[in-house]
Amino acid sequence: MKRTSPGLAVAVNGGTVKADKLMKTICPRNCFDTCGLVAHVKDGRLVKVEGDPDHPITRGHICVKANTYVQRTYHKDRIKYPLLRAGKRGKGEFRRISWDEAFDLLVDKLDFCKKKWGGESLVEYVYSGNREFLAKTISGRLLNLYGSSKLVGSFCILSGLAGATFTTGTQHCQSIEVWSKRAEVIMMVGHNASFTNVHSLPFLWDALERGAYLIVIDSYLTPIATKADLFLQPRPGTDAAMVLAMINHIVAKDLHDKDFIARHTYGFDELMKEASKWTLEKAARVTGVELEKIARAAEIYATYHSHMETGWGHQRYTNGHQTQRAYSCLAGVCGHIGKEGASCNYFDLLAYKGILNFDRVMYPVGAPHKTLRRRLINISTFGPALREAKDPPLKAVISWRGGLISQHPNVHRMTEALKKLELFASVELFMTDDTDWADLVLPAADTFEQWGVHPSYWHPYLQIQKPVIAPLYEAKSDVDFWCELGRRMGYEKFFPREYGGLDWIREFLADDISDETIRNALSSNDPIRAPEKYAPRIPWSDRVFDTPTGKVELYSTGMVERGKKFPGDWHPVPHFKETAESPVSRPDLYRKYPLMLISQHAPYRTHSQWFNIEEIQEIEGPPSIFINEKDAKQRGIEDGERVRVFNDRGEISVAAKLTNRIKPGVCEVNSGIWVKSNGSANVLLEQLVGGPRDVGAGIMEEYDFERDGHTIAYFNCLVQIKKEGQHA
Amino acid sequence: MRKNHKAIFVDTFRCVGCHACETACKAENGIPPGPKWIQVMEVETKVAGEWKIYWKPMACMHCGDPACMRVCPTKAISKREEDGIVLVHKDLCIGCAECFRACPFGAPQLGEDRKMQKCTLCVHRTSKGGVPACVRNCPSEAMYYGDLQELSKLIRKKYSLRSVGRIAAVVNPTLRSNFFFP
Repeated sequence: MKRTSPGLAVAVNGGTVKADKLMKTICPRNCFDTCGLVAHVKDGRLVKVEGDPDHPITRGHICVKANTYVQRTYHKDRIKYPLLRAGKRGKGEFRRISWDEAFDLLVDKLDFCKKKWGGESLVEYVYSGNREFLAKTISGRLLNLYGSSKLVGSFCILSGLAGATFTTGTQHCQSIEVWSKRAEVIMMVGHNASFTNVHSLPFLWDALERGAYLIVIDSYLTPIATKADLFLQPRPGTDAAMVLAMINHIVAKDLHDKDFIARHTYGFDELMKEASKWTLEKAARVTGVELEKIARAAEIYATYHSHMETGWGHQRYTNGHQTQRAYSCLAGVCGHIGKEGASCNYFDLLAYKGILNFDRVMYPVGAPHKTLRRRLINISTFGPALREAKDPPLKAVISWRGGLISQHPNVHRMTEALKKLELFASVELFMTDDTDWADLVLPAADTFEQWGVHPSYWHPYLQIQKPVIAPLYEAKSDVDFWCELGRRMGYEKFFPREYGGLDWIREFLADDISDETIRNALSSNDPIRAPEKYAPRIPWSDRVFDTPTGKVELYSTGMVERGKKFPGDWHPVPHFKETAESPVSRPDLYRKYPLMLISQHAPYRTHSQWFNIEEIQEIEGPPSIFINEKDAKQRGIEDGERVRVFNDRGEISVAAKLTNRIKPGVCEVNSGIWVKSNGSANVLLEQLVGGPRDVGAGIMEEYDFERDGHTIAYFNCLVQIKKEGQHA
Repeated sequence: MRKNHKAIFVDTFRCVGCHACETACKAENGIPPGPKWIQVMEVETKVAGEWKIYWKPMACMHCGDPACMRVCPTKAISKREEDGIVLVHKDLCIGCAECFRACPFGAPQLGEDRKMQKCTLCVHRTSKGGVPACVRNCPSEAMYYGDLQELSKLIRKKYSLRSVGRIAAVVNPTLRSNFFFP
């Protein structure tokens, strides 16, 4: 299915450059799309990055960010060599040291910590800056040998994943190549595909041009929402109330799929007991959505061959697990699960269900086995864990591929906690919010400078990240960094010097992925589709659900079971509970802070990445806040004016953008803005996480990432806005 | 415009304001921060009681009768016979910005070298049978390149698909049908 094979000659700077190498690799960002890339290399230098036209999903197109890869890779602010803190923490003053000195210092500190407090006083902080899994698993090998605390969870999606998993079992996605050709109605929930999943758009538009009907549910008028045939805009965090009313209405209208319910679901009566409390009137009152729209969306969704794409926005609340449960149950009641063109997608667990042999890499023969107890630290409560861990306390953090300060709520408390550490090392590309607080800053290798394996969470293609240039300056690839640290800590035999990236990849991929498959994935041939058993074409087409009852659980017996073991909100039928910080749940706060702050992912960044790239800054403009025209008028705020946004936890200073894309009473700051620019929404957020399990400060013995949940409640925040210069 | 003259058509229904055309253009033509040969503009407006947002990527229109060309005192701007592309000749440009004042679309951009520059419709690509970088890269597949005849046919095809295919029948939700799939 080759489209156009790009030749060696490539246009650069308006002229033509003859690259001497053309190499396929992939974009390893934490993004649905994980594009196929073609890197043009001349004399060992990356000259251009284009989309791979042979990639069946991304089809040769790349996003606003990826077009600036050359500028980012060769950016003047890249960290070039190891740096040691020279001033006070938080000041960002450093002096250059050698890698030898850096490793000596790391080894000394880690030895010291282990002797004084035990191995579990160390924890790595790693997330998805480069989302590939290989280096993360190799770091796991070393930390297992050392016996550190083990970082688990995510702060992004797990509440919704728990909701989806308790309903339909293991989550896989029906590929958009499949459903977009068959769906009559497409329902997009909390999913701003236009910014975070742009490669879904051609498929979506083709479906609409063919005649499909688009329903969008979002608290924010996203670009996709403006294209919708029907757009429902609930008050943030109230979706579950609306969905229960939809279920109630569908059943009252006799539009439910009685055959599917009888044969493939469990607990319909219990669900209806809860849903019947929700009339359309009541849901309209709670959510602020027009009653007719709720009824119409329900009728259309139930009547046609309807596909639901649930994104992640609706689950970034303290009630996110129940919200996703409600949506998944809605699909169950209508029988829209496991059919070609009619399913309910949340997240594809491709990376986690066998295609990667995590255990072989992490627990080699001769090393402590995985059953050996290690204290677990939940990443979504990393700040509280740092503050509250005792026995032993957390004293050393090695942070890499993450934005510990920019991505977590209640930033000021996080930086307070970091001050108490014995060691905070940060492996980074640029001097970010994190590096300012680090004792040791180490130059990371960029996307094009290292190996990686990156199964997508949205499409079923096998993605291998291949180095196309050597690491710049003194940067080290993440695999090399962890292997070298391992050797210096005395574990030479587990990190053989002669092992290259490909050797590790061979060890990491499942045995049934042949060498030939790996070769093909690395060649200029078409991308390789993951085998059916790891990425089913139509998940649940056999109507086998790996829930405890084997059915779609409208009443979740799984939640009841898990609830016997751990505290939390294990309510077995989806129910609506106000979020922890809403106008209704906190009338006291609401009087002082009458605006609900949400933050969407902008097209300009992947989390905090690209914030410092000039080609992006000139498009996005300075950090800003979207405020409804009515709210702005009340406060005498003009478009573009500088405003203070504040609550008891902090204050930011941003430019006001007057809009109607959010309803009055809601405001929005794009996520990922760096704290030091004084525009980060996270400064204002309380440390709240979605359920179902309540893990307190996140210091645990046992954790099930598919069922325990935990999404940071990024959209649960009340604030006030004033013109700059006006005081509260 | 003439029959053989080329243009870009943007299906504004498909455009979502992702701005990828802007950076694709910069990468292709080596433009530093500052001048924007193409820029996505956003308009928020109420249609039939609902708020909507529209986006429009704007580059140079390569006009049939370019106002910039007429006012240029040094004849630095010319229009190519073969494809209608309007180009600025740097060595003749004196940076007086007359073209900027004449252009109704804000297309001419002043560079660091104090000379005018603007979209060339990627003449280095299109004169060899390629399409402009913004069109080639558009993730939403909203941009198309061709002469007006070709584009007209494409627009008509899209329109007919949309007007025939729309589920008008959804107003009758008792009809559980598969009517797209005979």
